[in-house]
Amino acid sequence: MSRNLRVTALAGVLTLAISGCGGVGGGGDSGGGDAKGSGALSTMGFGLSDEIAKTRVDAFKKDHPDVQLNITEGAFDEQQFLSAVASGNPPDLVYMDRKLIGTYAKRGSIQPLTDCVKKQHIDLGQYRQAAKDQVTLDGTVYGIPEFSQVRVLYLNEALLKQAGLTADDVNLADWANLPAVNAKLAKVSGGRLSRIGIDPKIPEFLPMWAKANGAEMISADGAKANLTDPKVVEALTTGVKLIQDQGGWGKFKSFRDTFDFFGAENPLAKNQIAAWPMEEWFLNQAAKNSPKAELVVKPFVDRQGKPLTMSNGQAWVTTKGAKNPEAACAFVKQMTATDTWFAAAKARAEARKAANLPFTGVWTGNTAADKKIFDELYQPTGNKRFDDAVATIREAQDIAFAMPASPAGAEFDKAWTEAVNRVLSGQAQPAEALARAQQEATAALDKAAG
Amino acid sequence: MATTVTPPVPGRRRRTPLARREARWAYLFLAPWIVGFLVFTAGPMIASLWLSFTEYDVINAPRFTGLDNYRQLVSDPQVARSLGNTVYYTALHVPLVMLISLGLALLLKRVGRWQGFFRTVFYLPVMTPAVAVGILFLLLLNTQDGLINRGLALIGIDGPSWTTDPGWVMPGIVLMSLWSLGSTVIIYLAALQNVPRDLYEAADLDGAGPWARFRHVTLPMISGSLFFTLIVNTIASLQMFTEVYTMYFGNRQTQGSFSSDAASFYVIHLFQQAFQFLHMGFASAMAWLLFLIILIITAVQVKLSNRFVYYEGEDR
Amino acid sequence: MTTTSQPVGTGVASPLVAPVVAAREDGRRPRWQRILFVVALVGAAVIFMVPFVWLVSASLRPREYVFAPGFLPTPFAPDNYAQAWQAMPLLTWLFNSVVVGVAAAAATTLSSAWVAFGFAYFRFPGRNLLFGLVLATMMLPFAVTMIPTYLIWNRLGLVDTQVPLWAGNLFGSAFYIFLLRQFFLSLPREYFEAARVDGASYPQLFWKMAFPLIRPALLVAFVFEFKASWTDLIKPLIYLRNEQLYTLPRGLKVILDRFGYGGEQQWEIVLAGSVIATVPMIILFFLAQRHFVEGIATTGRKG
Repeated sequence: MSRNLRVTALAGVLTLAISGCGGVGGGGDSGGGDAKGSGALSTMGFGLSDEIAKTRVDAFKKDHPDVQLNITEGAFDEQQFLSAVASGNPPDLVYMDRKLIGTYAKRGSIQPLTDCVKKQHIDLGQYRQAAKDQVTLDGTVYGIPEFSQVRVLYLNEALLKQAGLTADDVNLADWANLPAVNAKLAKVSGGRLSRIGIDPKIPEFLPMWAKANGAEMISADGAKANLTDPKVVEALTTGVKLIQDQGGWGKFKSFRDTFDFFGAENPLAKNQIAAWPMEEWFLNQAAKNSPKAELVVKPFVDRQGKPLTMSNGQAWVTTKGAKNPEAACAFVKQMTATDTWFAAAKARAEARKAANLPFTGVWTGNTAADKKIFDELYQPTGNKRFDDAVATIREAQDIAFAMPASPAGAEFDKAWTEAVNRVLSGQAQPAEALARAQQEATAALDKAAG
Repeated sequence: MATTVTPPVPGRRRRTPLARREARWAYLFLAPWIVGFLVFTAGPMIASLWLSFTEYDVINAPRFTGLDNYRQLVSDPQVARSLGNTVYYTALHVPLVMLISLGLALLLKRVGRWQGFFRTVFYLPVMTPAVAVGILFLLLLNTQDGLINRGLALIGIDGPSWTTDPGWVMPGIVLMSLWSLGSTVIIYLAALQNVPRDLYEAADLDGAGPWARFRHVTLPMISGSLFFTLIVNTIASLQMFTEVYTMYFGNRQTQGSFSSDAASFYVIHLFQQAFQFLHMGFASAMAWLLFLIILIITAVQVKLSNRFVYYEGEDR
Repeated sequence: MTTTSQPVGTGVASPLVAPVVAAREDGRRPRWQRILFVVALVGAAVIFMVPFVWLVSASLRPREYVFAPGFLPTPFAPDNYAQAWQAMPLLTWLFNSVVVGVAAAAATTLSSAWVAFGFAYFRFPGRNLLFGLVLATMMLPFAVTMIPTYLIWNRLGLVDTQVPLWAGNLFGSAFYIFLLRQFFLSLPREYFEAARVDGASYPQLFWKMAFPLIRPALLVAFVFEFKASWTDLIKPLIYLRNEQLYTLPRGLKVILDRFGYGGEQQWEIVLAGSVIATVPMIILFFLAQRHFVEGIATTGRKG
């Protein structure tokens, strides 16, 4: 190879590599097709994991025989997504955690759904407000929400009785009294933690504790961090104290790491935890694995005693450069429509019945779908504890809030979770750790905005 | 860099036609690598160097920002912290891997018929999927119920909080990393078996004890392999990613727990910057800083090793 | 979530292989030393087997006992394997993994040996510099070259084919060039010079003499690269979209997301899938490593 040739080859490769780096491919051709959509449609981040997924996909296939649906299974992966985006050949649809949407929307890798909503007559009013907040950036909708997860307070009444307490005594509104309740419920003996009294579930649930104290950790437009608010500091201090009182973070976490919430040997059945806020799905598992447990479910409350919960979930987005936006839009409409959800829930109920297991409902981001599912399909199990719990969760769903979409959501999360971890591992005091997180988060948010 | 075995190239010799023809053949042998380098390595490397001077989010075209990324690199405490962690890990991991592997290889060398079996056993962890190793070690390192702390309790030691105490997270990770040293064992074993028997016999005649035999025969004869593993393991551990990411960062059930500072490795931080926070330009600058650091460390290792490594071929 | 494509992480192979030394000296060692030796060896072996024994055992237990203490699969639930097997086209993925693994390993072994011979045998200007460059290519983290590399394959129209998973290996890779070069260097140079005098060409030197002489090392390179390809997730993840083309680790991600994190945390099925994915590798290693020894026995040591 002559010297000249080599230089030329090198230059060629460089141009190839760098020119390709720029921009999201134009994707000029929109795949044709009518409003119902036809042609090929590809998705990423979604899997046909259960009957809920399969039933809805089958419904779409049945109504859109012209669309050749290509589902690349597996959870959302940034590297997979970004390399496809960089090459200008992204999938039409991506299924991702709602909290990621702000970042990708701000960068322009996912499309506003304004046209889609208009053309397909999607009724945005049917989706839950919290879910909509998470998929809306600067007033524009970028995603259609799927499931809706909320948190409630679980109590093991058997343990409360042993400690001479009732479910009403565990009052999350009365922060001053929590350490005392915690002390009665927790079991630390010989330097070993063998039962958790109250698990504050931080860092994960810190935004919910902060909100209960009247503080938003991030502004509604997702642009300003508010981590140094004394109310946030107070929330963190309260949570950390509950953990320090139970032998410290090391013992607490390693004990909790041994829990298996999905099996018959769950910590409720084994009396390893007395009071803990958690996602609603644990009710399904408890109903399945521990139907005899003395479970009481109460709403998480703010300091005035008003129910409060944080919600999150997944959403569908269409990418910029999608080859077939029409079909993509038709797909998300159908996947999240009331009738489709209902059919899927019905399939789940039948599967549970066949397996002789209780059906405790499906929680979607669509209020109309949930209403139909719980009004027409859901049957009380006859076990009052679980039936009451379902009612509590239904109410929580309607009042949930969500962390708003933010153009630097991932960095914001990293900043405050690291702050909490620093406090928990004894490296910093709450105010100091949050002040540093505020700095880091602000720098990231400003950069993303600019 | 290629100092290991340099055939004597007479400095003043004029280039003969023979030498020229030999050089042509040499390049022909090197051609596949040169082509591959130009097409698949040089392009991406230079692209990443260019990107390190830009703000690039992978989605939109890169925007030139001069030395901004490098300025930020110097002032970012998280970069310094993760670099510190990574160097600390490497300083613990590499010598330990070499020592323990050598010990195991010395044991294996004396095994007769069962050697194949034991060799496979020491190589098993290397073949176990990373996810399984991550899950397993979270269980083993559990403060209250983990096998390791239970074992320590038997001899009256109150085991540390391996996964939460900032001072103990790194030793825990090193412990996990030592599990997968099987390949280094295999190298040393092969090198040990290559030591000519007559050297030992000569040493015996001189009345050398076991330590003297090891010090004056074994060590010099396997120094080439020690050198090879030193270089390669150092480069690899400065780029540690998979296992720690699986254990402390990759579990979506604990989403939000981006874990503690203590488990923050340089390439993990780089990965988050590149793919989660969409600062590919900054990540590229981080990569080039790491590249320079590895380059310097490797060069120093090569220089130092020259004094200690013995080459059979030197007298050719 | 793997992002390193180089096998350096765990792969370090043998530059020098020699006849197995029978434990001849043992006869004259005191008994306590021999006992100590056996205890140390067996103890180390037990420690190293723990993760895999645990993996196999856990994959044979029902859901609620997966994380139970102990290493026995009780209660015994072998149908985890049936479930994992039925849930996915594991046979297709297994086949793909074999094809890609063999292609990747053969490509890298041949090309790296060819290039390594060039570095080991010839004296030419710029050799040290070029070899330094070879080593340097190991030093840049994969994360930042991944996207430019992807764009090249995309430009070549080869995304969503298996070609990017192995074709890059046709050009040699730094780790094996370094490894095999060390090995070629241990061969006596006079041997080749004599053949040159007899009129052998350079390619003949390589194919007829050097290549067979380092067969054991080539096998090591083959096995190490096969293992690297067999366990690589990131390349199949970003390059493949068609499920029919998946390799086992990519398929395992589907299983993990479907049954593990994304589903009801049925770890027993995920673990059963992991075992299915790992066992072929172990068999290959066990069989191949016998040949490391045989190779040496037939080649012998010269001079």
